[in-house]
Amino acid sequence: MTNLTGTVVRLKLSLLRGGLRQSRGRRDAFIVSSVLALLFALAQLPGMVLLSRQPHGEVVSVTATAVLALGWAFLPLFFPTGDETLDPTRLVMLPLRPLPLMRALLVSSLVGVGPLVTLLLLLGCVLVPARGAVGWATAVVALVLALLVCVALARAVAAANVRLLTSRKGRDLAVLSGLVIAIGSQLVNFAARRLGSGGLGQLRPVADVLSWVPPASAVAAVRSASEGSYGIALAQLALTAAALVALVVGWARSMTRLMTTPDGSTLQAADGGRAESRRTGGRTRLLPAGRTGAVMERTLRYVWRDPKTKAAWVTSLAVGLLIPVFYALQHTGSVYFACFAAGMLGLQMYNQFGQDTSAFWMVALTISSPREAYEELRGRALALLLITLPYAALVTVLNVALLDAWPMLPRVLGMSLALLGAMLAAGAWASARFPYSIPQEGLKSVVPGQAGLAWISIFGGMLTAAVLCAPYIALTVWLAQGADGVGRTWLLLPVGAVYGAGVALLGLRLAAPRAAGRLPEILAAVSKG
Amino acid sequence: MTNAAVRIRGLWKRFGEQVAVGGIDLELPAGKFIGLVGPNGAGKTTTLSMVTGLLRPDEGTVEVVGHDVWRDPVAVKARIGVLPEGLRLFERLSGRELLGYTGRLRGLPGAEVDKRATQLLDVLDLAGSQHKLVVDYSTGMRKKIGLAAALLHNPEVLFLDEPFEGVDPVSAQTIRGVLERYTASGATVVFSSHVMELVESLCDWVAVLAAGRIRAAGPLAEVRGAHPTLQDAFLELVGANGRQAGSDLDWLGGGAPR
Repeated sequence: MTNLTGTVVRLKLSLLRGGLRQSRGRRDAFIVSSVLALLFALAQLPGMVLLSRQPHGEVVSVTATAVLALGWAFLPLFFPTGDETLDPTRLVMLPLRPLPLMRALLVSSLVGVGPLVTLLLLLGCVLVPARGAVGWATAVVALVLALLVCVALARAVAAANVRLLTSRKGRDLAVLSGLVIAIGSQLVNFAARRLGSGGLGQLRPVADVLSWVPPASAVAAVRSASEGSYGIALAQLALTAAALVALVVGWARSMTRLMTTPDGSTLQAADGGRAESRRTGGRTRLLPAGRTGAVMERTLRYVWRDPKTKAAWVTSLAVGLLIPVFYALQHTGSVYFACFAAGMLGLQMYNQFGQDTSAFWMVALTISSPREAYEELRGRALALLLITLPYAALVTVLNVALLDAWPMLPRVLGMSLALLGAMLAAGAWASARFPYSIPQEGLKSVVPGQAGLAWISIFGGMLTAAVLCAPYIALTVWLAQGADGVGRTWLLLPVGAVYGAGVALLGLRLAAPRAAGRLPEILAAVSKG
Repeated sequence: MTNAAVRIRGLWKRFGEQVAVGGIDLELPAGKFIGLVGPNGAGKTTTLSMVTGLLRPDEGTVEVVGHDVWRDPVAVKARIGVLPEGLRLFERLSGRELLGYTGRLRGLPGAEVDKRATQLLDVLDLAGSQHKLVVDYSTGMRKKIGLAAALLHNPEVLFLDEPFEGVDPVSAQTIRGVLERYTASGATVVFSSHVMELVESLCDWVAVLAAGRIRAAGPLAEVRGAHPTLQDAFLELVGANGRQAGSDLDWLGGGAPR
């Protein structure tokens, strides 16, 4: 029995060593990140000791434990290839009983830099509230329980989702993971800034709830025991232990299921996406007929279904909203920051054909005149506007409301519309003139050798959009000046709308013959991914 | 009306130093099942891409049913159906959605697209998976949905690049049935392959391509000549007949003592 545990631990170490031997860069990256993580984990210990003298110290340690556990739960989903021993289906051909195997896998999960760093971080967390002999004794139990819960959580989540992780949907999810991290880090950054100004006491209600959520409940138990509330401490420890048992049982169940049922991924699904298609039937009838409607429908479906496109859209939507709102909340923004929404979403018009990948041949075969190219580009622009127009208007209104600058609304909205039109125009032209491939796997958005092209397309395009907007900006400045400036500025809204629409139409008209004349070249450029 | 479905004159394509297609002159008769055969790297895909307007030739002209591919794309693109090899489909659409999208890009009315799509999905045995995303399709299913998309607008000439590559025997038989029915109505199919048995059993007209040049072209019987099979004729034409993989591997064989 222990033999198996030893074997699996050795297997894990060999896998780790094998992975590092693959390339020098990978080994260096591993060493550097391990050293940094360990240094950080060690450095936080004295910090936590200092924190234990602060009034809200245990609030931080409880919250930190919960965040740590969250990380353990999500990491295997986002980095499914990180630990091959996480995938029990690899061991399915071996004659192993579930219980010894689970013990072996659980122990092997405790081996590695990640668990060591977690141990040190958790040590810091239990240090903060620990007082007196009973408190310290509880801290030791809490430390072990919390670490086991973290590790078991990762195993249980991975086992429950192993089919997902090795399937197409899992790979789609991995593409979105970078996005979650990017937006999540923005939110954390913002929250940290709020905490910096408002004090740790703000976290108190969150920590009070987390005190009863394992494994943070184990850290909370240390505090309860140190304060003499032994009953509560015992309950919190028991809750953590119960969670550990539940996780292990759940993990055992999914593992048994995994190892005794065949992989169904190659079976023919009779009605896999039936519900999905039926649902879209009603909406699509609202779109125009012919090419325009077909293009709009396809574009909108891709926004939702294609992980790369979805990631780009969600980033644009999030950044377009977060930047103006964050600055407005801190009263450091300008009303014109609302234009970020239009600008970020307008970026989606760039490299339209690159988003098609080599499937662009299907489009190329149906374009034989500038007219058809114009309809194609216009359909894509309309699909984009369907989302962008209401969103940009919403962000503008929200921003103006937060800054309480209602008289500015018409001119900011007008500016957003003019900018959007300019972005569409420049984007359409750049799509035809500077197409580049978007790799479908991984987090990269440009294939090697086309980075220069992408930079020209995006930054040249943005510069062009700025130039195209210049007359309208000049008009805004001119109208806003003078004594009766505010009275006339409502004019900027209709003028901005007409200007934006005019520039966009002109851009599409100029881009269409270029696209129609360069179809083979565009296909070659977008097929490299 | 000319009776050549495709007329190629002096077609050249170079990729850097390498000549992919080195001066092809070829006339493909209308209403035939035409096989374009050649070893890997012979230039089949490059030729088909240039004929269908997906790749710009360095030199030469291509006419499809009497219209120049590069000067009169309106007439040509409406009359051809294409199934390329190595290019993606819009894989995040379901099979049915892909057909609906293609048909409407082709300018067919919505109701007509729906009718044709239903029939094609039925005939090609895809009705059960029509609502599954194409990205989850197997190779055979992808070829079949690609074929359906190429046939949807009832083209006069159909170009298929390796339509049977990686396709299981059941799907291959389905594809074959549809293509035979299509040519029986007077339409032209041009397809590339390196499986000689397949070409021999399907085609009535063959062009042999090697190293970017046409080695032989004509009715099947003519190209085969005195050889017992097309395979033998082909090996001689591409100059691979002398290669015998025999004597050097005299140690290779079952039951040899260890």
